[in-house]
Amino acid sequence: MILQTALLIGLVVFSVLAILLKDLLRSAISLALASLVLGIIFFRMGAPYAGVFEISVVAGLVTVLFILTIALTKSGDEVRESRLANVVFPIVFVAFLAIDALVMKGLIGKVPALASGAEAGTFGEVLWKGRTLDLVGQIAVILAGVFAVLALFRKRDKHE
Amino acid sequence: MIILFVVLPLIVAGLLPLAGKVSRRVLPDLLANATLLFLLVYAAVAGRALIAGGPVLHQSSWLGEAVGIRLALDGFSLLMLVVVSLVGLAASLFSIDYMEHYGAKGNFYALYLVMVAGMNGLILATDLFAVYVFLEVAAVASYALVAYGLGHDELEAAFKYLMLSVVASAFLVAGIAVVFGMTGSLDFAAVASGLRELNAGPVLGIASALFLLGFGLKAALVPFHAWLPDAHPSAPAPISAVLSGLLIKVSGVYAMTRIFLNVFGLTPALSTVLLWLGAVSMVAAAFLALGQKDMKRMLAYSSISQVGYVVLGIGIGTPLGIAGGLFHLFNHALAKGLLFLTSGSVQQATGTRDLDEMGGLAKRMPVTAVTNLVGALSISGVPPLNGFWSKLIIIVALVQAGHPVFAVLAVLASVLTLWYYLLMQRKAFFGKLNEKWAAVKEAPFWMTAATVLLALLCVGIGILFASTVTTWVQPAADVLADGIHAVAGSWGF
Repeated sequence: MILQTALLIGLVVFSVLAILLKDLLRSAISLALASLVLGIIFFRMGAPYAGVFEISVVAGLVTVLFILTIALTKSGDEVRESRLANVVFPIVFVAFLAIDALVMKGLIGKVPALASGAEAGTFGEVLWKGRTLDLVGQIAVILAGVFAVLALFRKRDKHE
Repeated sequence: MIILFVVLPLIVAGLLPLAGKVSRRVLPDLLANATLLFLLVYAAVAGRALIAGGPVLHQSSWLGEAVGIRLALDGFSLLMLVVVSLVGLAASLFSIDYMEHYGAKGNFYALYLVMVAGMNGLILATDLFAVYVFLEVAAVASYALVAYGLGHDELEAAFKYLMLSVVASAFLVAGIAVVFGMTGSLDFAAVASGLRELNAGPVLGIASALFLLGFGLKAALVPFHAWLPDAHPSAPAPISAVLSGLLIKVSGVYAMTRIFLNVFGLTPALSTVLLWLGAVSMVAAAFLALGQKDMKRMLAYSSISQVGYVVLGIGIGTPLGIAGGLFHLFNHALAKGLLFLTSGSVQQATGTRDLDEMGGLAKRMPVTAVTNLVGALSISGVPPLNGFWSKLIIIVALVQAGHPVFAVLAVLASVLTLWYYLLMQRKAFFGKLNEKWAAVKEAPFWMTAATVLLALLCVGIGILFASTVTTWVQPAADVLADGIHAVAGSWGF
């Protein structure tokens, strides 16, 4: 219980840091730590596949992409953020925490749920037999991503 | 073989960049338009026969074993497939000439077809998570298409669109998680019967609120509309036509309606919320449109206002109201598609979207001026065009259901609509020809052909509205009016 609470607090703290830190590199690393903690929480709650993906893709691959991108920027490229965001975020965050503390605990117990059995089948079976359409969707998203990169980084025609 | 609606555009999209290497223009034009024409013919000709005996359920198998691809086609999805193919084809024909100067046509059509595949997948999906996945497919392709011109405005608009879409997706995933937590299932049929068993009032309310925020953002209902007036005008004209004509309707209105009416069941509270959201969007966006000087921005605000009508009609919840809402969805897709295409013709000819700079263009671009007028009058609800009938049905349904105030608002918003469209028509096409535009010529063949096609449909459907309603709209409205029985009873796999 203590470990679980510590992990959850860690998740919130690193997520907030990822938003508030001015230095992009530190911000990216905070995000990676947050998803690492989330991955561990997934493992502890009996969802190893979700944990593996969270840690390998979000904490690993995405962080590498972020850091590579940051490395490609120059010191003059900073964009000044609006003051409003700096004021609004903490207010919304505190309000959210207050609502969370007051409401959620009572609410969670009241959510009606149908009894459901344990997940059946291996990862491959679930993905291939249960969620095949999502795989088609994934292929489409990847296609869209590739075409988007090809289109947005194309050489412009002479007249432009 | 309803899976063709998803798989065929994806396969062709995969081939298009290669085709673009072989032939820079002709082959991509031909492949993309032939694909959309095939889908249109398939939906319009074979679709009615397919669903004659009830909804068609498709379960794919791989090497003799069933895999998890389950799709369903009923009256509502068929209507949406026809709309997507029709407006999709018109915009794609328009692109033959319009996208010439953007370059990389193969890539353009590839993204375009992925977007169409995403919309078709969403329309045919039978579970909540598949709805989310295909919504993202269409959205990812559309971000790139909005930014396709690579100018500062385009990139900024695409970024804003991306950010607000991500917020919408977050709400949707949260809503899906709440429903999954309660019912242990994502399948429409299983969720519908599970929720009935649970009788989960307040928690279902939370899930509904999350979906409302998510789909409200996607459909750009006021007050979730901030992204649309930037994103839609910045895109190339055929993409604006598809975004306003189709995407907000498929990923906003269709998904929301399917889930609220067929899976959750429309409660009186939800109906009231939809009525108010629809009415506020309809009126507020009409006022905002009045003050616009940018032609495409005015059209974008008009889209928000007209989606308000659609939601208002569906929100009534009576069979007549739903039929009116869906008919208006169909008509608005055609007319707004048409108007964005004509605005593209004007922008290409003059290089500006500023209405104050235009004037007298009807003398130089007679076909564009006439087709623009048809679209404008249709959306404003002038008889005998198609938009008149759908607005009339919505207003009659409002009065019948005991909502006279909303009916009056609908009439008032219609007057406002006519006002700003006449302003547009006067500033752009009528009056003395601005000397700057003395050398302007009518749009090239395919651009004109696409707008004429849509204008003829607006007129034709206006004249033959009764048969259009009975053939296409009524079966769709029946599915929605049936509520959760339409899905819970007959969609079991």
